[in-house]
Amino acid sequence: MKELVNVEGVSRRFSLDNGQARNPAHSYVTALSDASLRVTTGEFLAISGPSGSGKTTLLNLIGCIDQPSSGRILVDSVDTSRLSPGNMATLRREKIGFVFQTFNLIPVFTAAENVEYPLLIKGVASRERRSRVAEALDGVGLSARANQRPDLLSGGERQRVAVARAIVHRPSLVLADEPTANLDTHNATQLIDLMHGLNRSLGLTFIFSTHDARLLEHTERIVRLCDGEVVSDNSTGGGSRG
Amino acid sequence: MAKFLLLAFRNIFRNRRRTLMTLFMVGGGVAGLLLAGGYFAFMTRGLRESTIRNGLGHLQIFTADHFNRDEVRVLDTGIDNWRQVAANVKTGGHVRGVAPRIEFYGMVSNGEKSSVFMGSAVDPEAEKSLGFISNVVSGRDLDIKPSGEVEALVGAGLAKSMNVKVGDGLTLLSMTSDGALNGVDVQIVGIVNSGIAAMDARSLCITLASAQRLLQSDRVTNLVVGLDATENTNQVAAGLAPRLRGASQQLVLKKWIDLATYYKQVNSMFNGIFLFMGVIVFFMVLMSSVNTLLMSMFERTREIGTMLAMGTPRAWIVALFMVEAALLGSMGAIVGIVGGNLVGWLINASGLHMPPPPGYTNSILFHVLHVPAQMIGSSLLVIVSLAFASILPAVRASRLRIAEALSHV
Repeated sequence: MKELVNVEGVSRRFSLDNGQARNPAHSYVTALSDASLRVTTGEFLAISGPSGSGKTTLLNLIGCIDQPSSGRILVDSVDTSRLSPGNMATLRREKIGFVFQTFNLIPVFTAAENVEYPLLIKGVASRERRSRVAEALDGVGLSARANQRPDLLSGGERQRVAVARAIVHRPSLVLADEPTANLDTHNATQLIDLMHGLNRSLGLTFIFSTHDARLLEHTERIVRLCDGEVVSDNSTGGGSRG
Repeated sequence: MAKFLLLAFRNIFRNRRRTLMTLFMVGGGVAGLLLAGGYFAFMTRGLRESTIRNGLGHLQIFTADHFNRDEVRVLDTGIDNWRQVAANVKTGGHVRGVAPRIEFYGMVSNGEKSSVFMGSAVDPEAEKSLGFISNVVSGRDLDIKPSGEVEALVGAGLAKSMNVKVGDGLTLLSMTSDGALNGVDVQIVGIVNSGIAAMDARSLCITLASAQRLLQSDRVTNLVVGLDATENTNQVAAGLAPRLRGASQQLVLKKWIDLATYYKQVNSMFNGIFLFMGVIVFFMVLMSSVNTLLMSMFERTREIGTMLAMGTPRAWIVALFMVEAALLGSMGAIVGIVGGNLVGWLINASGLHMPPPPGYTNSILFHVLHVPAQMIGSSLLVIVSLAFASILPAVRASRLRIAEALSHV
């Protein structure tokens, strides 16, 4: 299997008080400390840990929406720590799909228009956009709700639209930050099944943060974080270890 | 692109109340500019036409000497063979007629009191054919057919100071073209009020034939050319200038705008006021819109973070805010144009009058012209104002740190 993500000794520190603290040791907080992780194509990987353990920080770093204070991250063999902001945006646009805890759909767009957005910014032609949007919405079982705006969709439907939006441009990697946190058990189970199905049918690589036991039960590989450090990396199924 | 515009358009209506307030504010600015500009346009157009109609004409022909040197004797810089020149001019297109004039000065006396007068001599028939009006407030205009009496129109101020009325007689004294003193008794047939008090205190008008007898000269000071429409002035002037070169004297053609000093001053003043109002509206729209657009940006922080996370180029975020602002400006401009024209129409229908300005004696009709150029200019002004106002929020939005924006509550 091809290596898709390689996190090498990555740390992320956030400065406090704009760096004006008297004691330099107290001028920053470490969100992630010397974390290392390898992810191969087609994995279904969960990053688990308590609140404040660094799950979202690690996902942000892998997703190129933040940069490490030290260490390096390779996504599809590209060292993202050396990329300019513009090239990072291009990498995100081309190779990464995002699913957020609070869905983060554009409220003035319909479900179909939200799914279309990644294709729009990627410059995909109109006709192809339409067919891929229809395909993606069909894949998440929301063809009938294509013309509804997010405020008329249930939480589960919104998150399925978000998943369709994350996969429509055929990324190599889908990152999901607490995707089931705002869903009831029924919708959470449906979403887990959907993501798992996409992982198997399309070979999409999923990395998601969660402390939802329902989701962890379906995950082959779980990376556990505590206080910004990787404390365990174990496979429960067929996923490869880091 | 269409989707991008759609997104910008829909974003405008997220907060309808705020958008409505902004539209009213922008529309109010545009409407204010249109009403002020429309009133100024009415004033300047009215002043232009009244200046022309009151005797300035569209074009005037002088000898070159008239501008090169002062007269040593009366009419020694006048036009000699003016009938021939007038006949030549009349053959041109758009020319309604040509009126000869003599400008002279002298003393006027009622037998008890004397005063200086600024005289003008006209051909009543030619003046009437050109539609020139004398603003007679009492009595009648000069008679086209000459009678035994020398008729005169006297300015209201001069009549008052000389204590005369219609039907009374006056004696005019002036130097002839030979340098001798000559006099003529005139009968007042009308009192005129030009609206300019300083002018009415000295003005006196007699027929051309009477003036030529008084001044002992067949010359005229100038020829006034009337056209079918003011808009044709430049075209006729361009065609006429070469034809005047064949005359025995060197003649000069002047357009009305070259001679209408007062009109130019008033026009400049109105333009200055309009520009000042435009600057005020620009900053008013700019300052209030910056706040509105910044609020809109803060409310959408997480959404902008999401768009950036998906790989939206930062330039697109800047463009999105600027397009939203421009659309808001365009809609505000439409509101302003509709509102401004509606209010203008109501004002025009009401027949309101403004008090007379300093130096004038007549009240002025409060009328608003609907000027397409002002509608376009005012619209562009507010659209540009809003585009400027969007720069700060647009840049701030595009520079958001994605991770922070995504966790924004």
